[in-house]
Amino acid sequence: MRMPCLVARESNTIPQSVLYSDPSSVSEPDSHDIAYWIVDMQDWRAGWQLVASLREHLSPKVYLRPIVYMNADNSMPEEISKAADGQLNGNLDNGTMLEVLASSFEKTNQWIDHLPDTNTAADANISFKVLRLIASREGEQKPVTTVRRKSGYVYPLLEPLFSKRDEGVLEILEFLDTQKLISGSFVSKAHFCSSCNSAFINFKESCPQCGADDLAVDELVHHFRCAHMGAMSDFMRGSSMVCPKCDRELHHIGVDYDKPSIMYTCNQCSHGFQDPAIMTSCYNCGRSTEPENQLSRVISAYSISAIGQNAASYGMEALFTKILDSELQLCSFDAFRDFYRVEAARIRRYKKSESSLAMIALRDIDKLYIRLGGRATEVFGELSTVFRTVLRQSDVITARNESIFFVIMTETSTQHAERAVERLREGITELLSSNLDFAPEMSSLIKTISVDMDLDKTLEAFLQT
Amino acid sequence: MLIENTIDFFLNMDTAKVLAYFWPFFLLDMTRYLLLDVVVISVYAIKRVFHKDQYALARRQLYKERPLVSILIPGKNEGKHIPRLAESLTRQTYKNIEIIIVDDGSDDNTAEICRRLEQEGKIDRFIRNEVRGGKASAANTALSFSSGKYIVHIDADSHLAFDSVETILLPFYMDPAIGAVGGDVRVANTDVSFVTRLQGIEYMKSISIGRTVSSELGILRIIAGAHGAFRRDILERLHGWDVGPGLDGDITLKIRKLGFRVVHEPHAVCYTNVPDRFRALARQRFRWDRSMVRFRVRKHRDILLPSLNFSFLNFLASAENIFFNLILDVKWWVYIVQILIIHPTILQYVFLINFVLYMAANFLQFFIASLLLGDSMRRKDYLLAFFIPLVPVYTGIFLRIVRTYAYLMEFLHGASYFDKWNPWKVSRVVKEEKL
Repeated sequence: MRMPCLVARESNTIPQSVLYSDPSSVSEPDSHDIAYWIVDMQDWRAGWQLVASLREHLSPKVYLRPIVYMNADNSMPEEISKAADGQLNGNLDNGTMLEVLASSFEKTNQWIDHLPDTNTAADANISFKVLRLIASREGEQKPVTTVRRKSGYVYPLLEPLFSKRDEGVLEILEFLDTQKLISGSFVSKAHFCSSCNSAFINFKESCPQCGADDLAVDELVHHFRCAHMGAMSDFMRGSSMVCPKCDRELHHIGVDYDKPSIMYTCNQCSHGFQDPAIMTSCYNCGRSTEPENQLSRVISAYSISAIGQNAASYGMEALFTKILDSELQLCSFDAFRDFYRVEAARIRRYKKSESSLAMIALRDIDKLYIRLGGRATEVFGELSTVFRTVLRQSDVITARNESIFFVIMTETSTQHAERAVERLREGITELLSSNLDFAPEMSSLIKTISVDMDLDKTLEAFLQT
Repeated sequence: MLIENTIDFFLNMDTAKVLAYFWPFFLLDMTRYLLLDVVVISVYAIKRVFHKDQYALARRQLYKERPLVSILIPGKNEGKHIPRLAESLTRQTYKNIEIIIVDDGSDDNTAEICRRLEQEGKIDRFIRNEVRGGKASAANTALSFSSGKYIVHIDADSHLAFDSVETILLPFYMDPAIGAVGGDVRVANTDVSFVTRLQGIEYMKSISIGRTVSSELGILRIIAGAHGAFRRDILERLHGWDVGPGLDGDITLKIRKLGFRVVHEPHAVCYTNVPDRFRALARQRFRWDRSMVRFRVRKHRDILLPSLNFSFLNFLASAENIFFNLILDVKWWVYIVQILIIHPTILQYVFLINFVLYMAANFLQFFIASLLLGDSMRRKDYLLAFFIPLVPVYTGIFLRIVRTYAYLMEFLHGASYFDKWNPWKVSRVVKEEKL
């Protein structure tokens, strides 16, 4: 029987049917029998910090667990209010209510229980956490508009994951969508600042001649009987409209007059025009540019896909490696190990040549898809091309995860291998720093392949560094 | 055989018989359209030589003052002609111009073309009225956004000779009483079809010569919308153009009524595209001819009546038009009846002699026009002479039938109020108010 657990800094009077956990001591072993977390939102700001700390926890058994608000009122923002899986109306003594809530979360809890007990390194990856949170809940995750985030939209369930950073959720969702791990359905379309990703952009009409946005707008009026055309203001006499040419009063639009067009006049340069230029300026960074230079994004509601459900349950393979795999045919680590063994034996047998093992680590590559969202695949594609041009078809490559690669470079001395790895470094740095002003740090180690070298220990040693 | 008999028939007639059989030519058309043309154009040509210094002085004054000239171009679905017109305007000798195009609710790519020209700086301002209001409203839109001291109105399907703007402005610097100047309108597309060639000859006769003569006699009654220059202060007094069709003739009479002179300048050349099919031409003339009844006989009838503002020249300008076009239109039908009833046996001789007389007159008028227009005549204009033998049939039969039908329809039904040339809502209002 699962029980709810109150997460609070102080435990005053708690009924026996409710567990208690101090926020700093929440841990996986304790959470096995927990139906949901209860967070007191009387002071919603303090409560929100607790919610964030639960969702940011490394253990899926903790961060995926449903959260229920207690003492919630209407003072908290909508995105925080909706971030909870449920609300506890009344106090902790209401055992029936506690049970009803527990049973309503049973399906989610069962899904959490079925997660394999693998290491939780992947759960440190925010994209993976997002995927698992979406997978653990039924239905779509719908966006909510907000002025508290510069992205303008939040997904309440995911919001606690981003409580300390004001970016990334849209990009991560886009990326997961492009990987077919989640599927989006159209909700809206929005413009974002191409410089700082802020959704708060001011669209304003401006003078096509001098760029000023101090414009006067006037409708043109056509009086049918005398063909007089003039600005609306020329016709106004008190509250009625009188033609300045024939002195007749105008009565009904479409019957004795119409308004065929609108004219803008720039108050700065006096230029008159009908098609004002549209300019945008970002409230956040102040950058002004034409609308076509800003990002236009589709805002979607997301639900988990079949592939995503699988990936969320059994771990998401390093995503970059998926792309790299399609370019270079990465081999599995077991196959790599077998090939290493064969190659080491072959070299010892013939003693005619030298082969090298290159170990390459690209740090912060996960930042790429946070920054690029759906466009990350393009960059990963380019990165894969760099790999392909530097490495040879006779090289055997495997990926430990999305940022660590091992390469057996056959018939290659350590010097030549060094040179190849250097070319790889240059290619990656040039690609990323010239296009994104960002280059992942790359470290590498080259070893000569021999039967005396223990592959696993060598790789482990490299990973330790 | 027919020709020999016709010559015998003509040579055997005495003067009285000649007048009896051919009175329309000898008493009316030859006197009004040939002798008068020869005399007036001769005098004009001599005057032009003697006034050479005055023209030079006017040109110096124009360039000294260098006033801004607003070129107004209203049009609907005329996009295909606009680039050539804009090009001809950018090449003008007189440079201080602002070009304003108003699109009167086009439903083709006119707006796209004009916006591109505006971006390229070939026109100064493009205004699109999403709802069609008719040509007068489009011209008035352009006027309200213009700021030039002089206003030049050009039809969108026309283009100008390189010195046309300069030349049309000169009369303003020669006589301060001049309120408006008409430019010479020639046919741009003479080489397109038979119909356009005939119109090429007709325009030389009726506009180049006809309006120069009227102008010299002080009875010019129309400044063509295709190319006309106006003083801005006068247009502002009149609040621009009134509802058409025939708005160019209407505003000319209104300027005359204010006491200003209106003159024709045959050397300010504008080339306009004319209908290239008889059907389209008939529709155009049906519209033009009806406006004669609507404006001269109805709207500006006061010119013909005694009043404090009575002006003999204004009276003559309108009366001459009404007499020679409207009243004498009847003469032809009288004449045809006369020949058919009284002399049916000599029908073929009368027809042939009339044909020769009018053809000869046309040749002479073409020759006068060539002398008057001088250097501005293009080679293809001279080649139009080959089509002169067909002009009597064109003007004498085709245009006459159209004109008679137009007059009848306007008198009996007020047909111009139903013309699709104006939007129906505008036509309804002007018909209700009998404007």
